Amino acid sequence: MFNNLIKKLFNRIEIHTIRTKLIISFLVIGLLPILLFGLLSFNIYRGAINDRISDYSQEMVNRMERDLEDYISEIERFLSREQDFYINQFIKLTQANDFRNNRKYAFRIWEDFNNLKQMKPGLEDIAITFQDGRRISSYGTFNIDLEAFKAKMYPNLSGDIYITPPYKSYFQQEVITIVSSYYPEIAEENVLISADIDLDVLANLTDFNLGKKSYFLIADQNGDIIYHPEKEKIGERSLLYNDGFPDRKISLNGEQYLLTSTFSKSTGWYIISMASADEVEAELNYITELTIYMTGTILLLIILLALYLSSSLSRPIQKLQELTHRASENDLSVKIDISGDDEIAELGQSFNKMIRRINKLMEQNVKEQKLLRQLEMQSLDNQIKPHFIYNTLDLIIGLLENKDFDRATHMVEALGKFFRLSLSHGKEMVLIRNEIKHVKNYLFIQQFRHGEEYEYIIDIEDLEIMDKHIPKLILQPIVENSIYHGLLPTEKKGLIIVKGYREDKNIYFKIVDNGAGISAAKVKEINKILTGELETNDQQKYFGLRNVDQRLKLMYGGSSGLTVESIKGEKTVVTIRIDQRGGR
Amino acid sequence: MFFSKNRILFFLILSVIFVLSLTMTAAAENDQQKAKSSEEITIAYVPRSLDNPIFLDAFEHAQEKAIDLGINIEWVAPFAYNAEAQINIIESLIARNVDGMVVSVNNTPEYIEVINKAVEKGIAVATFDADAPDSKRLFHIGIDNYEAGKVTAEGLLEVLESKNIDYNSKNKQLKTMIMTGVRGALNLDRRINGFLDKVENTNIGVQDIVENQDSVNLSVELLEQYLQKNPDIDIIFFVGGWPFYVPAEALPNFQRWAKNGGVAVGIDIFYDALLLQERGLLHYLVGQDMATMGSKGLSTLYNYIKYGIKPDEYIETGLQIANEKNLQRLLQTHRPWRVK
Repeated sequence: MFNNLIKKLFNRIEIHTIRTKLIISFLVIGLLPILLFGLLSFNIYRGAINDRISDYSQEMVNRMERDLEDYISEIERFLSREQDFYINQFIKLTQANDFRNNRKYAFRIWEDFNNLKQMKPGLEDIAITFQDGRRISSYGTFNIDLEAFKAKMYPNLSGDIYITPPYKSYFQQEVITIVSSYYPEIAEENVLISADIDLDVLANLTDFNLGKKSYFLIADQNGDIIYHPEKEKIGERSLLYNDGFPDRKISLNGEQYLLTSTFSKSTGWYIISMASADEVEAELNYITELTIYMTGTILLLIILLALYLSSSLSRPIQKLQELTHRASENDLSVKIDISGDDEIAELGQSFNKMIRRINKLMEQNVKEQKLLRQLEMQSLDNQIKPHFIYNTLDLIIGLLENKDFDRATHMVEALGKFFRLSLSHGKEMVLIRNEIKHVKNYLFIQQFRHGEEYEYIIDIEDLEIMDKHIPKLILQPIVENSIYHGLLPTEKKGLIIVKGYREDKNIYFKIVDNGAGISAAKVKEINKILTGELETNDQQKYFGLRNVDQRLKLMYGGSSGLTVESIKGEKTVVTIRIDQRGGR
Repeated sequence: MFFSKNRILFFLILSVIFVLSLTMTAAAENDQQKAKSSEEITIAYVPRSLDNPIFLDAFEHAQEKAIDLGINIEWVAPFAYNAEAQINIIESLIARNVDGMVVSVNNTPEYIEVINKAVEKGIAVATFDADAPDSKRLFHIGIDNYEAGKVTAEGLLEVLESKNIDYNSKNKQLKTMIMTGVRGALNLDRRINGFLDKVENTNIGVQDIVENQDSVNLSVELLEQYLQKNPDIDIIFFVGGWPFYVPAEALPNFQRWAKNGGVAVGIDIFYDALLLQERGLLHYLVGQDMATMGSKGLSTLYNYIKYGIKPDEYIETGLQIANEKNLQRLLQTHRPWRVK
């Protein structure tokens, strides 16, 4: 059923028309690269964004690790101080409960510790703690629960300092404490020297804008959270802990995150970046939407462009097709009107030119046929003149009475061939070979009729022309003129030479007779009439010459035709030039 | 009948006595359970700041007294005076539920509120040096500030007499500058009142009252600037000893002014102030007994916490006077606070 539906759908789309083919071609050519390019670009960009976010997250956690290590290192350097006279005196006098002498050292230590606090932002307090829990810090002197404090401490990797997880300090501030031991030279008992660091320092270290949902956290080696933007989570075991914090994509509370982490050796902490996948992909979604909108817009433009182009291309073709069809139905009045200078317009112009040429040729053909028919009629008229027929037949009878059967046979044969070649089965073009034969038959018959008063020579120099086609009845009318107007009016032994040769692309025939000749004025007049310089209203005047000349010009162009040369009383030469380059 | 009636009455009386004795025994046991041992008692002193050496006497003697009493003592304050920081520290003491605290504060709503909060939580609160009488504090230990001002004025008049300066002349007024910490600090205001009342019928007139925000550094700066602009001032009354902690070399204008006959008197006696007096920069000093504020303040609060002994609301620690006659003796008994 589905197949039928598809077939019906395709049948409804007429893809056999040029317009449909063009539309489909344009769409395929236009859309396929755009879709491929869009898809490729989108994937490349998506990969680049993911790489960039990953690199950025890694760079951020690395930078935080460096900042954290720098900060902690400075605190460590302070805590690992060499012997301090004032601290030593304070420790000694405190252990001796000598408050009278001790107070000035206490004052000095308060002053020093507060100066250090001023110099190091985030340093909340500095303290010296005795083994019995007595403590002096930048806030004064007081006692702490030392056992509870020691229980919080754990050593760093090198084991020389201790760090506590976040807790509420004695003054109710959220801090972490870095602790080192101090061994005064003048007292047996060592003390702890410690620095409380405000958790806001960790907040500042992680204060990078990674997105609204994205955040950073810090956790110790056990996965217990040291710092988290949601403060209630500080101290809890991180759900992200998986024998460390390997980089991965994870789901947390229904949100997807890209986890990137680094490990700080000096603190033994992990710094973890949680980049929200939604936020990362928000940019990708934007690119996706942009790609879809752009592709859609381009698709629409391509469709409109394809419709326009196919229409503009197919419309003249359709018009051409319609006019060609009309022309094929014998309507040669059609004319296509296409503006522009493209191939279609050129095709239209060629079509118009062709139609004009066809019309002209048809006119020429009609004219030529008319001339030919006239000549044929003239020729047949001449040939079937009773005088020509009776005279010839009498000659044949005379030959038979003299029992000259061979010549009689030749005459009959020549007469038959003459008539047959005259008609040429109605063909317009004949081989030069046959036209020569026709002239020979005619001369043979005329020679015999006129008592062999003249001789004739047929001289074809270039035999390859014998197989060329020429219009029929080109030579015979000229030879006939030579006999009747050149040789017969004179008493001398006549000679007719029919010469054929080739020169360049031209075929020449010269019909020479040594008859009466023509006066120069007449020769001039004849040639002017033949070249069209002179017109005559007498259609019978020089009918044979004009007929042959016009037919040649119609067939082969203006360079073909006849020229007449003559010397009065001596000879007449008619030259027939057939320019084969002008053949139609 | 009577016997039987008396027997019933006797039985009733016995029952009442038995019930009462049981109740009293239980109450006594409760009190005993509530009472802490001395080692568990923690009392915190909160001076106005750590950087004011005037409190070191109280610090020293409070610690000694704590050893005697066997209690824990804390001495906590912001290094430089800052009301908000000091209140935060008091809040932290409340959060840690110390047994008592002795604080030097102002009688302002913020301090009153935090003191009352502590008291309502069951923490015994006393004040020393500077009082907040509008709060629910248990007692105040310190000097009679009005009296201190008055005695200082009396000493001034003595100095003027010894210098043959007529303080009763109607022709010339003796121009006076008063330097105090902040206006509104009850102890300081009362010192000023005592001083002014005493000189009321003289030609001593107050030209300016300069506030140094309870800062030693600022007090030195303001004093030098003031004398630069007003070298013709006749008398300076220092309501507290803020600028006395620096050596005389750090006070060139003050030195020049004193050499030209200026008379300076003030409240607070400590070693550095006595050195300035020895060099003639100060002429009469009235001191507070800060040591007693430390020791007696602690023991009084301890007795209240431990034994429920209710003290008097005001405990005066008396005044000390430094003049030409006893200066050398005082220099022997007071100790320098600075580490050399």
